[in-house]
Amino acid sequence: MTRPESEAEESDASAEAASAASTEAFNRYVLPELEVLYRTARSLTRNATDAEDLVQDTLLRAYRAIDRFDGRYPKAWLLTIMRNANINRARKKKPDLLDDPELTFERSVEFAETSGPEEIVTDPMFDASVIDAFDALSNDFRQVVELVDLNGLAYQEAADILGVPVGTVMSRLHRARRRIRDHLGEHGLDSEANLPRGSTMKDVVVGSAS
Amino acid sequence: MKLFKKMRGELSCDDVMEVLQSYLDGETDADTARKVASHLDDCTDCDLESSVYQNIRVSLSVNKAPIDPVVLDSLRHFGERVSRGEID
Repeated sequence: MTRPESEAEESDASAEAASAASTEAFNRYVLPELEVLYRTARSLTRNATDAEDLVQDTLLRAYRAIDRFDGRYPKAWLLTIMRNANINRARKKKPDLLDDPELTFERSVEFAETSGPEEIVTDPMFDASVIDAFDALSNDFRQVVELVDLNGLAYQEAADILGVPVGTVMSRLHRARRRIRDHLGEHGLDSEANLPRGSTMKDVVVGSAS
Repeated sequence: MKLFKKMRGELSCDDVMEVLQSYLDGETDADTARKVASHLDDCTDCDLESSVYQNIRVSLSVNKAPIDPVVLDSLRHFGERVSRGEID
């Protein structure tokens, strides 16, 4: 015969063990992906504050679901959670425009699905190839890509900062991107099927996990 | 064909490849931009090439754009609290 106290103790112990397992899994699989999550969120929302909110929402959802996660492809799992959180967020943002709930839903989904090219965020193979080619650029080439593509400067602004003619900026930039583009081609990543943009993020994530 | 296009003031694929990156950067004049846009509407190959360059830019921006370490620290702190079950 089991005494009630020991039943309660057992139940406490098993809750504690479950919670410790969740903490361990969360620390192991989720926290290391924080930077990727934030970069992706920033690209999805195009707004630093919204990006932080989206990451926080994703972390909470991930924690609640971590006991059902099998430990395979944590990044793909987390990006799927983020994608769903972002669609939810888009729905909440536009709730008051129309009274008809179905129309509101449709409009929100439309908003979520057409929020811009950055919505389609990441394909690990494509990204890895772009990063490899970018890292292999000479300093002169990498510098112009950083100024124009990462910091959003116009050609003339980049030329002023570097103290070179605008034609030099243009020539370096175009050749640098051409190298990245050719690198993608050498790895067969320049076909319609391999471009992250134009497919859904879910498809990309599923594709990367298989 | 090329000659006909030239006569109609349209751009050939070679012309478009020449200015594609400047076009995507918003660095061409309005007339060129209009002609490139019109060509991309009709030409699958050039449109794909344009998509490749746009994807490269998105990929660089997601993966390489500088991020504020303070924001990342604050998110890490939030994540650690979630992990300890302090926030749900």
